[in-house]
Amino acid sequence: MTSPTEWIARVCHIGLLRVASLLVPLPQRTEWWHEWHSELWHVRHACAPGCGFSMRAEAEVTAFCLGAFQDALYLRLHSIASRAPSRALRGSAAQCILCLAAMLTACYALALLLPGVRAERSLAPIQIGPGLVLIQDVASSDDSSPSVLPKQFRAWKERKQQYFDGFAFYRVTEEPVRRESVSNASGEESGWGVAHASENLFALLGLPVQFPEQDAGSFGDIPGVILSERKWKREFQANPHVAGTVLHLGPGKARIVGVAPDGSRGLPGNVDAWLLEPDEKTVAGGAGFVIAHLTAMGQSEMYAAKVHITEHNSGNSDDDLLGISLDALTPGSWTLFSFALVLAILALPAITSVSLGEYSENSEGTSLLRTICRWSFLSTKIALLLPIVYFSSLDLAYANTAIPASSSAYVQLVSTFSICLFSFRWVLQDQRKRCPVCLRRVCNPAHVGQASRTFLAWNGTELMCMGGHTLLHVPGLPTSWFSTQRWLYLDTSWRFLFAASGSAIESETISGFSPNGL
Amino acid sequence: MAREPRFAEAKLSHTAALILQALDAGFIYGFSIMEMAGLPSGTVYPAMRRLERDELIRSQWERQSIADAEQRPPRKYYKLTPAGRATLEASRKRYPLLERLIPSEEAKSV
Repeated sequence: MTSPTEWIARVCHIGLLRVASLLVPLPQRTEWWHEWHSELWHVRHACAPGCGFSMRAEAEVTAFCLGAFQDALYLRLHSIASRAPSRALRGSAAQCILCLAAMLTACYALALLLPGVRAERSLAPIQIGPGLVLIQDVASSDDSSPSVLPKQFRAWKERKQQYFDGFAFYRVTEEPVRRESVSNASGEESGWGVAHASENLFALLGLPVQFPEQDAGSFGDIPGVILSERKWKREFQANPHVAGTVLHLGPGKARIVGVAPDGSRGLPGNVDAWLLEPDEKTVAGGAGFVIAHLTAMGQSEMYAAKVHITEHNSGNSDDDLLGISLDALTPGSWTLFSFALVLAILALPAITSVSLGEYSENSEGTSLLRTICRWSFLSTKIALLLPIVYFSSLDLAYANTAIPASSSAYVQLVSTFSICLFSFRWVLQDQRKRCPVCLRRVCNPAHVGQASRTFLAWNGTELMCMGGHTLLHVPGLPTSWFSTQRWLYLDTSWRFLFAASGSAIESETISGFSPNGL
Repeated sequence: MAREPRFAEAKLSHTAALILQALDAGFIYGFSIMEMAGLPSGTVYPAMRRLERDELIRSQWERQSIADAEQRPPRKYYKLTPAGRATLEASRKRYPLLERLIPSEEAKSV
């Protein structure tokens, strides 16, 4: 007959084993529970062979049950250790390439998800036609500020031109806009940047208007307005049937006749809508921007992105103007990336040494195959980094669709340059720390020597390849006889030492025992 | 071709060697190994799992009918593999006191 005390002790022991089993990873839990439970019976049988309750026996059984927690802890740690990257992969070239590939995938996936980036990439092929210039007053320091007066535009247009065969004018004003068909719940009107533009502007630019109006006759003399793509997406949820919608635009009305293609984003002025008007109305306001199309003779004279133009007007005075190629104003994301890349390459020597160090003569270390592997690895890293930089800079620049396109371009330029610069720095530093034999990163840095003895002996840092191939010596203070890092190739007699230490470390980590049993 | 055990003879810990010696001496259950080697549960079972992983020992549950006949729960018993036996032989050279701690004859005479 089991006494209540004994019964409670048994329940407690089973409870302890059950709790311990919960710490065991799920796939092994049942097996371990069975073994502990089975052994518990034998432990109890051996410690207290039917002599009733004994504190000593119960303490021994409890000790056995508590040992189960150690077992469970071992299993849990072993499970975590087995999930961690294997030792073979740690610090290897394959791990580096895999990490870069994962980063590239993440950046590309983000670029696909962000609407701003998607629009930038998908609409990039539509470009403003060639031979177009923006005419600005030479005194205007900012391309984005209007500087041409309407009377100047009128005079040029009326005069026979040698270098230009078409002109268009637009000026941007901030105007309240309200949709007619949809009542605004708050009764407020939003302010849009409205460009009062010549009717021939889009024809001159060579940009086809998207989703054009099919039936213009039913609106009488209501002027047409072309939405910018950004406004179309934000205010009209990219509705393809937006044409025909009437807007209250300032004091009057305007009907939407289409959506401006993405190429128009490069034009100066933060424009939300293009109100196409006859020139008499367009030039009634203040200064604006003039777009001109070059004749063949004009294009041959356009030897740079910006050229000076002198206009002889009727009053025997000259206007000094600047013709800016629209191609220069609307660089694509790829052009910006290429430009920033070149800048970063030029700036790289300023922040790190471009030398990869000395690779001394060694039959194993400097074999042709090893050299090819080393350079292939370097090339692969760069090849993976370039698209990472491109997509991450696009993600940064176009993540926020509220900022103007010109600002996004600056963000892309700066981010591409910065990321490129520090990525290349990392590539070179990483390459310098790769064992030339196995391309594994050297580790365990140890300082050797004293700085005060630089001129009598060597001092610096020594790192080792865990494969036992090489030692890397990096001078603490470069001297004429030891100016850069050097590799010391170890012969095969050293290998056993590294292999043994590798196994021993693993054995200790997993089992908690000293490898030599002491 | 058989997989080479991960533990070479020279790297076997004293604890592991002690467990192999106990198994060789005929103590084939976890609790009996603990008793004979004087090691706690939290040391013996992980070590046995490690030895099993390295194919030096193998385990098996005994048949339910045997346990039922003796009115006790079935036990898991352990056996040395040929690789384990070879490793134990090498370990005996390294740890000469091993056989004195758990003499094989003692088990066989029980």
